[in-house]
Amino acid sequence: MKILIAEDDPISCRILTANLKKWGHEVVVTHNGKDAWQALHTQGAPSVAILDRVMPDVDGIEICRQLRREKTDTPVHVILLTSLNRREDLLEGLEAGADDYLTKPLDTHELRARLQSAGRILELQESLRQRVRELEAAVAERKLAEEALRNLSLTDQLTGLYNYRGFLNLAGHHAKTSRRSKHPSLLIYADMDGLKEINDTLGHRAGSMAINAVADILRRTFRDCDIVARLGGDEFAVLVPNFQKTETRNLLERLERNLRRYNEESSHEFTIALSVGAVEIDHQQSVNIEDHMARADEVMYREKRKRKKDRQ
Amino acid sequence: MSVTPTATTPVDLEVLASYEDAQVEGEPDFVVELIDLYLDQVPRLFDSLHAAIENNDRATAKRHAHSLRGSSGNLGVLHIAAVAGELEHLDNPCGTSAMTLLQNLESEFRRVKEVLTAERQRRSR
Repeated sequence: MKILIAEDDPISCRILTANLKKWGHEVVVTHNGKDAWQALHTQGAPSVAILDRVMPDVDGIEICRQLRREKTDTPVHVILLTSLNRREDLLEGLEAGADDYLTKPLDTHELRARLQSAGRILELQESLRQRVRELEAAVAERKLAEEALRNLSLTDQLTGLYNYRGFLNLAGHHAKTSRRSKHPSLLIYADMDGLKEINDTLGHRAGSMAINAVADILRRTFRDCDIVARLGGDEFAVLVPNFQKTETRNLLERLERNLRRYNEESSHEFTIALSVGAVEIDHQQSVNIEDHMARADEVMYREKRKRKKDRQ
Repeated sequence: MSVTPTATTPVDLEVLASYEDAQVEGEPDFVVELIDLYLDQVPRLFDSLHAAIENNDRATAKRHAHSLRGSSGNLGVLHIAAVAGELEHLDNPCGTSAMTLLQNLESEFRRVKEVLTAERQRRSR
């Protein structure tokens, strides 16, 4: 270990130094508090400090107190040197934050034992720090993996519907495979009205419940083979493949009915309203699903503006 | 603090011998080095103590007595360590009893010096 000695008495200092060196430690010798403080605050500072209780300028207890005021990951292990029969010094030293003490005249066997104990404590602290570093690295890695997984995921965590990515994949795939189909598909865009108000007045838990309620209503309204997704926030989309043009009205009416039924159940703190835009997709004309989505979005927004006007 | 004079053993040579453990091979004798440090330090401490007592500087007298006790204890110079401790803990370390103790210390040191010098010679051979 690298050990600092702060001791103004030359004989005591020499005995300490000789023994520590003999035991293979690296020794930094100082004879007053100021130099000791400086030595403990240089690059590669000692990990153990043997401080004399009594020194001409700053005494060992004061150094100890100041050291403990510092916030550090690698606290120096402080051994205070006190005279035998000075119990009050000893208690004061431990209160000031000394880890251990030695009484003078020095007993070298005791010194050696105290240093071994210091070594064990420092090793333990280092292995704890190492463990914390490992755990932090593991957590960071896990977070990256989770994010990667989320990016790969096709489902929306909150509702269990497809997410934006899932919708794009499935709807895009459907568009490609239906290129020669005579049946068009129906793309519906649905945007919740007033989610922000629900969040603001009832909290985000209620907001999440409202989003889930919309997901349930959509699931109930459409068939299993329809692609139902939450694109994000308060936006939903549904792709109804191979539909008959005459069905459009029916479908939208069924959605309206299911919404009304939900709102009529008295147990909810909020009511749900959707602005809906629907467009037909003729697969023989275009395969780019995102173009159709932009069209449906536009229709939906016209609808939303109209509803807003109606309400005013 | 009561003092039991140990007139027959001014220096516990076993304490000195225990420092042989710290001897590094090929380097000057460590115990001799400690003896030299002590023989050099103590007369200077006596001078400082005389000056402090003359100036009635109690804190300084106390501090020097403390140093003398510490060094003597480290080298197994038991009687001096004990008397120095008594001086350190006097209510007035600059009074007449302090002066008496200091004289005791100085005469004891003459005996200690003989023992330590002999020990030094034995080891230097």
